[in-house]
Formats: sequence, C-alpha cells, structure tokens
Amino acid sequence: MNKLLRTVSAAALYAVATFALPMPSEAAEWDIAKAAEPYKGTELNVVFLDRPGYRAIIKLLPEFEKATGIKVNYEIVPYENTREREVLNFSGQGDLSIALVDLVWIGEFAENGWILPVDKFANDATITDPNLNLKGFFPLLLDAFGTWGGTVYGLPFDNYSGLLFYNQCMLKDAGFDKPPATWKELLEVYAPKLTDKDKKQYAFALQSLRGETQSADSFMRSLWPHGGSLLDKDFKSNLLSKESQAGLQYRQKLMEYMPPGIVSWDHAEAVNALAQGQVAMITEWSAFYPTLTDPKTSKLGDCLAVAPEPAGEAGRLPALGGFSLAVAAQAPEEEQKAAWIFIQWATSEAIARAYVDAGGVSGRMKVYEDPQVKATYKFVEPMVASWQKGVPEYRPRFPAWPAVSEVIAEFGTKMMLGEVTVEGGSKEIGNRMEAILKQEGYYDGKKKLLQ
Amino acid sequence: MTTPSTRRRLAYGRWTPFWFLAPAVLALFLIGIWPTLFALVTSLRRYNITRPRDGFPFIGLDNYVQVLTDPTFWDTLGRTAGFFLVVMPIQVALGLAIALMLHRPGLGMLRSLARVSLVVPLATTYAVVGLLGRLIFNRDFGVANALIGLFGFPPIDWLGNPTGAFVAICVMDIWQWTPFCALIFLSGLSMVPVDIEEAARLETPSKWALFWQVQRPYLLPGFTAMLILRSADVLKLFDMVFTMTRGGPGAATELISIYIQRVGFRVFDMGLASAQALLLLVITVVLARVYIRFFYREIEA
Repeated sequence: MNKLLRTVSAAALYAVATFALPMPSEAAEWDIAKAAEPYKGTELNVVFLDRPGYRAIIKLLPEFEKATGIKVNYEIVPYENTREREVLNFSGQGDLSIALVDLVWIGEFAENGWILPVDKFANDATITDPNLNLKGFFPLLLDAFGTWGGTVYGLPFDNYSGLLFYNQCMLKDAGFDKPPATWKELLEVYAPKLTDKDKKQYAFALQSLRGETQSADSFMRSLWPHGGSLLDKDFKSNLLSKESQAGLQYRQKLMEYMPPGIVSWDHAEAVNALAQGQVAMITEWSAFYPTLTDPKTSKLGDCLAVAPEPAGEAGRLPALGGFSLAVAAQAPEEEQKAAWIFIQWATSEAIARAYVDAGGVSGRMKVYEDPQVKATYKFVEPMVASWQKGVPEYRPRFPAWPAVSEVIAEFGTKMMLGEVTVEGGSKEIGNRMEAILKQEGYYDGKKKLLQ
Repeated sequence: MTTPSTRRRLAYGRWTPFWFLAPAVLALFLIGIWPTLFALVTSLRRYNITRPRDGFPFIGLDNYVQVLTDPTFWDTLGRTAGFFLVVMPIQVALGLAIALMLHRPGLGMLRSLARVSLVVPLATTYAVVGLLGRLIFNRDFGVANALIGLFGFPPIDWLGNPTGAFVAICVMDIWQWTPFCALIFLSGLSMVPVDIEEAARLETPSKWALFWQVQRPYLLPGFTAMLILRSADVLKLFDMVFTMTRGGPGAATELISIYIQRVGFRVFDMGLASAQALLLLVITVVLARVYIRFFYREIEA
C-alpha cells in the first residue's frame, strides 16, 4: 500500500514537474506555424484600445498572421465603451473570440462563464507553447489581471503600474535633487515650493474626471497608501475608518497645489500638463511613458524622470491596473484554439522584447532583466519595483464593481468640489455600496466574499 | 370577358387602404412598436444582463417603485427641465430674430449663403459638438476664455466648476439648435401669402403689428412642432454632454439620459432602465399634448 502510494505520488510529481518545467528539447520543438496549421484561415475578433500597448501589438501582428495564417480582426474602442461593447457581445452570443479583460471585469466575466480557464487549453500539447511558463509573469499581474477564485483565465497583456512621472528640472529649480519618497513629504515639503499660482504652475495633478478615472485613479489611490480600504473583511464599507478618512482628507489638502478644475481632468489633461511644464509631478500609468517621451507630444525632453509612487503610512501601494486576454467561451471550438495560440504569442517571452521596443509593456519578468532594456526605458526600474508587492484587489474585481464605481465616481467628485463633506460623502458611498452588495447576496452567505 | 366579381377584386375594396398602409405600419412596428413593447415587458422584470444566472423573473411594478422613489432620478429630471427652460427661450428668441432677418427682401446671394450655413451646426454629430465644447471651454487655451479676456475678465474654469459646466453645455446646445428654430420659423414666414403681407406693409408702418397680426399665426404650427421635437430631444440628449463632461463635475450636468445610460449600460440593469425610459416616454407624450392644447392653432385661409 505504502509502495503504491509512493509510486502514485512520484508519478504525480513527475507529471506536475514535466508540465511546469518543460524540457529544453521539447521547448525547441514548438513551431507556431505547425501548431496553427489546422486553424489556417481562421478569423479572430477582438476589441482593442487606442493605447500604446495595442499599437505595439498591431505593429507586430503581420508577423503572427504570416506565420500562422490566422487573421486577427481588431476593432479599436474607447475605454469607457469597452465593457459595454463586450458585455453586449457576450450576452448576445456575438462574434468576439477573445475577451479583453480589465482587471476589474475579471470577476464578472469569469462568473458569467463568458471566458474560459487557461487549463482547458494548456493541457493540449498540440496547441500549447512548451514555453508558456505562467511563472514567468510577474505573480502580482497574473494574479490580479488574469485570475479569479484561484483559476487562471487570462494572460497579462497590457500592463500598468502607477508611477510618479516628474519634471526633474522644475524640482531642481525648487531645490530638490530627488523626487518625494512619501506622500507626506510631497504635500508638506515639495508641494508649497513647486506651486506658483500667479505663474499658473502647480506641484501636482491628480486626474479626477468623473468615471473610472475618478474611482480608480483618484479615489482608490487616496485610500490604500494611507492604510485605508474600500471594504472591510465582511464586505461592509471601510470608508469611515480613521485611515480611509485620513487618505481622503489628504486628497482635499493636496488639491490646493493642483490646477483648478482638476475634477474635469482625465488622463490626457494630466499627462499634457506635465508634458507642457504646467505641473511638476503626476502619478500616472506606466503606459503613458511613450507619450511623455515623444517630442511631438511632450516638451519635457531630458527633464522627464520616473520614480515609483510615493509611499504612505501603509507603505508603497501604487495604483495597479491592466488588461489580460482570455479565450471567449462563445467562440466555436476551432476559433477558441486559434485564439489560444494568439494569446500565448501576444504575451509570450519570445516577443516580449519586440513588444517593449514597439511601445508595449510586457508582463514577463525576464525581458526587464536585460540591461539594454533597463538603460533605454526609464520607467522599467520603478515599474518592476512597484510590481514586487501590491494588492490585487486595489479596486475590487467582483461583478458589482461597475455599479460601485458609478457611486464612487459621483460622490468622489462631489467631495472634491466641496458639495459634500468628506465624511458625508463617505457615508453616502458606504450606504449605496452596501445596498448594491446586499442585492448581490454578499451579506446572506449566498455568495463567497471574493474581491 | 371580365366577370363583375373579378373586377370587384381588383378595384378599390375594403382592404385597399390596409395594403397601402401595411409597409409603413410594418416598418413602424419593427423599429418603434416592438421595441417599446419589449421595453414594457422588460420593465416588469428583474433584467440585469450581467447576471444571467439569476434569470429574468417578473417582479411586477418593483422597477417603477424604485424609479419613483429614487432621488437621483428626480434630481436628474429636474436638472433636465432646468436645462430645457434655459436653452429653449434663447433658441426661440435667437431663431426668430435670425428668421426675421433672413426673411427681409434683398441681398439674395448672401441670404441663400446664410441659409445654407445654418445647416452646418445641425449636421454636426452630437459627439463632435461635445468634443468641440471641450476645446472651446478649455481653461488655458479655449476660445471662450480668450473672448471674455478681451473684455478684461479673468479666465473661468468652465468645465471644472458645476455652474460653468452647466453654462457650457447650454451654450453648445444653443449653438447647435438655434439654426433649427431659425429654419422652422423661416419656413413659417415664407408661408405667409405675399399679397397679404404686402397689403399689411402698406396698411401699417409698425413691424410689430405686422409680426403679431399677420406673421404670428403662420409661425405657431411650426413653433408647436419645435417645442415637441426639442422636448423629446432634450430628454434624450446624451452624446454631447457625455463627451463634454460625462455628467460631471459632481452631478452638475447629469441629465436624465446620462443617468439612464449609466443604469442601462454600466450597471446593465435593463429592467430599471426600461422603466425609466418608459416614464420618459409618458412625460414626452404629456408634454406634446400640452403644447398642442396651448400653442397649436389651425390657420384659417
């Protein structure tokens, strides 16, 4: 009996080992053209955004299409309409074969069965790259962007970390030779010296337009570093906790050093203000790096510098965001397999370098070890540092998020405008959010508390 | 030889009008009536398409109760009414002024040019108007601030403060829809028989008397149509405001249609959104009846 057990467990171990660590000889055998042979002529449909990561993959696409004979049809949709487009497509059994999954949609897409677990394909050696190596992704990214309830659905594709982009010339003129290390320092030491309202110069800009920008970029960014959070462990509002309130009050104080009308600023305005020398510092997604280095869109030149987001009382918890690609369950089986081949290719270690050079941000760890990459792209080091530790539920990823996000967006902007007090607004958000979560069944034990 | 019975079949019969109307009715049914009926049924269900596993059970009038007790619904409806009451009188006044100017005899070439250029704002897509608005009212390089700067006013942060943003969407709506009012009034003015108008001009030097006694009756049917169309339009005004402010800052420019879009296409609660939309339909119909009752007069030839 013991022997049998031993044999079985040894066999199991072996199986796990061979799956997780493919032999180099096997690795050499992956031939994407051969794997794609049966799916030649298949057309894949996917929604893309008008952002650098997508422009990069579009640049590399002909290579994939030539090698595989699989055609990828992409439609570029503004971010704010993407979820609407995909949800309608999936619930109406439309033509999308690949889902572009923002990390906050993963719960909704997975629970509705709109996307398929990676496991469904990864065991099929004929269509799976032996170098798939899920462990090669930053664990935080795979976990946050692609995983729901312990199951991997999507592979990290368009990856962001919040970073502090700053104008080092402005900082130098004000007597600083390095960026602020903490939010406290930013507010108390840096902000007053970098703001000159008569010259229309401001220390900081925090994009806060009503919408996902307000809820994700502005509101949540004010909670986590200060030790606050949206929900407590029972999924009740945690916004009235001392830490959350401190974070939101901090945002109000910092507004004094931001350009007026910051509640109407989206990413484009914040990035542009830094690029034109109107503000000294912004915390923005790593994906905007190419916009800030391009002389066509930025006057910064060598003045641009990048650092990790400042730390708060709770440590450095920068904003986390990004998209994974997952196979859509509604696609016919052949198309699913072709989609799987495409997704592996687009997120593979093999094209990671080319992807980065084309303006994308790969989720593969290895590519950033390359000294040449580190030297060329200033954002790499702070970004890699930011991805070492973080909270996957920076914004809860459950299906109720879009509804909660709407509430936060409305009262978050009202709070900034002073139409409601920080405490009053927090109460209002808390009540409305709890009503939504109650309806979802989180409070009567019907639903597991996953975020 | 044709028997009397066949002849009757080919001739005008009881069903003839039906066949003539059928294509129009069918089209109307497909694009208007069927979706409305579907919305009616949906409004009686819990119908969230991102929760297919919960099914779409009938819940009676729950959605309507929820809409009527929802403070945000009433806030946004009130804001929409406020918007209408601000833009409509201005559009009517400016539209009438433009129409009367264009109706004056003389300057043929320039008049036709002006008439054609009136169509430009109307032909502009709402979303583009919104994007233009974002540029015009930009704090740092917008035309609006440059203009008020000429008169020595300090720059205003239009889109960043609630009143400024509301004014900005009003201005863009007035820009886009004043020409519509002008064209309708112009067509009304051109319906006034020339001999009557000329006789009146000989009769009295007062332009006001001419307008009130002779031209006004011809303008009322168009005015009624304008009110009906603009009310319906303002109730469903979405793209322009969304691209310009997304309903913000705070809730300053959140009109009813923006709110319904949020419920319908962000939260995907189609049941609730359908109930809201049907209530809007009722409001539109009631308003239309009111306008016809108070403003519409048949012209007696």
